[in-house]
Amino acid sequence: MPTQEQNQKFIVPIGPQHPALKEPGHFEFTVDGEIVTGASVRLGYVHRGIEKGTEDRTWTQNVYLLERICGICSHVHVTAYVVAVEQLAKVQVPPRAEAIRTIVAELERIHSHMLWLGVAAHEGGFDSLFMYSWRDRETVMDILETISGNRVHYSANILGGVKFDIDDQKRDFILKGLDFLEERTNHYMKVVTTDETFLGRTRDVGIMTKEQAIELGAVGPTARASGVTIDIRDSAPYSAYKTFPINVITDETGDLLARFVVRIKELLESYRLIREILDHMPEGELAVRVPRRIPAGETIHRVEAPRGELFYYVKSNGGDKPERIKVRTPSLCNWSSVINFAVGHKLADMPMILAGIDPCFSCNDRLIKIRRDNQSQVWTWEDLRLHGIEYYR
Amino acid sequence: MDLEKVLLEGENLLQPWAVSTSRPEENRSDVVVARENLHAAVQAIKDAGWGYLTAITGLDCPAPAAAEGEPAAEGNLELLYHFCSGLAVVTLRVSLPYSDPTLPSVCDILPYATLYERELMELFGVRIQNTPDTSRLVLPDDWPDGIYPLRKNFTGFAAPAAEEKE
Repeated sequence: MPTQEQNQKFIVPIGPQHPALKEPGHFEFTVDGEIVTGASVRLGYVHRGIEKGTEDRTWTQNVYLLERICGICSHVHVTAYVVAVEQLAKVQVPPRAEAIRTIVAELERIHSHMLWLGVAAHEGGFDSLFMYSWRDRETVMDILETISGNRVHYSANILGGVKFDIDDQKRDFILKGLDFLEERTNHYMKVVTTDETFLGRTRDVGIMTKEQAIELGAVGPTARASGVTIDIRDSAPYSAYKTFPINVITDETGDLLARFVVRIKELLESYRLIREILDHMPEGELAVRVPRRIPAGETIHRVEAPRGELFYYVKSNGGDKPERIKVRTPSLCNWSSVINFAVGHKLADMPMILAGIDPCFSCNDRLIKIRRDNQSQVWTWEDLRLHGIEYYR
Repeated sequence: MDLEKVLLEGENLLQPWAVSTSRPEENRSDVVVARENLHAAVQAIKDAGWGYLTAITGLDCPAPAAAEGEPAAEGNLELLYHFCSGLAVVTLRVSLPYSDPTLPSVCDILPYATLYERELMELFGVRIQNTPDTSRLVLPDDWPDGIYPLRKNFTGFAAPAAEEKE
């Protein structure tokens, strides 16, 4: 049954597969007519067991595993992990490596925010903005591909430093791309804040006050759009943010429009920061050696992912594999806020409100049990290895 | 803000319930509390407006293998409630024996803890009293009851046997 009656109210299930949301999540909205009176969330459709998986892999193998938690903010996950491991190993990373990590992190934020801008515009029915912003996003994807060789999983980090350098040629390429992006971003700011039809979908929709944001534990741009001034790059600076501080972007209105404005301003802030770091690139080595076995202990590292605070807890028992890695992603925090402030809005606003927090499902979901009806489809690690050898022969 | 001052402030708030307090790292303070005091300790942090709950980490600490002739010691679950304020991280550590992994919910104080508590119940088998929502969050609907994947004794299903059961 798609809907069911309960106390004269309807429950409208949305997802796990739904054309309005591109990733799997299941929501149940209790509605009274058009107005939402209650909401609940069920995640886990892309849960892959990564936290458990880390306990079976060496410190180095985990760099690659954790990078694959998310396809959008892959670099920031590994940054949180490698910095935590470096803290445990008491290794000091060269300043040039920290600068490169930070540049890649900011480029990633640009690509993530532009991706979000397109998705959110699409949910609002503004498909030309979606297509333009995704076309322009290719500029930053090209930059990432040029400096790292990859569009998505850049593999910039290794334990103890970074894998590649940014030379003058790459630097010029980045700067040229940023000039173009800055011009486009200013244009988007104008469109988002002046287009009447679009404002109709965003202004005063999904309002979350500062008190609510704190009460509900919202993080990242979602919280900053409600006036919460927490940005981990500023409140607990790491890597090159210690030497190159950022300006925290906030807005007071707390509606969907504010979430657009905050993210677009953060794009401009990222351009400024990357230019500043490129102007003052520290010289030196790219990496230092990290031992294969990490001394016993536990540590915590927090970073500002494009969606908000990302938390890593790493515990070592002195061996070549971690004892426990705990990941708390920003989307998980923002879910509890969205299911609360959704109440009282029209059902038709739900896709926009959901998209407004920039949800990332892969980030929450790190465990799955794979079930296949056809037994022969289940591959063992050995089968996969042999297949890999065959494939690239 | 002065890191040392913030950390001290957090430690002082928790002083009435602290079994022990340690500084594992420059910016971190670990405070061990008994489970019956957890609720009051969290309430004190919230009332003072000290930082925010960033995450709850679950740890499985199985007992070390018993020496010959000795009865096996009981393992325990350890829950870490991480509160952050700027650079400072204060962690409340609560230890629960395998035989009775129950704990009061903190959702009445911090409503957003519900998702973290659901995670702990599913993945570690912690029994949380008075938590508002006990439904599954991340595991599949057909996941067997009583199997908690993040416990150390879970090493995966034997593939064919697990398939047949379904």
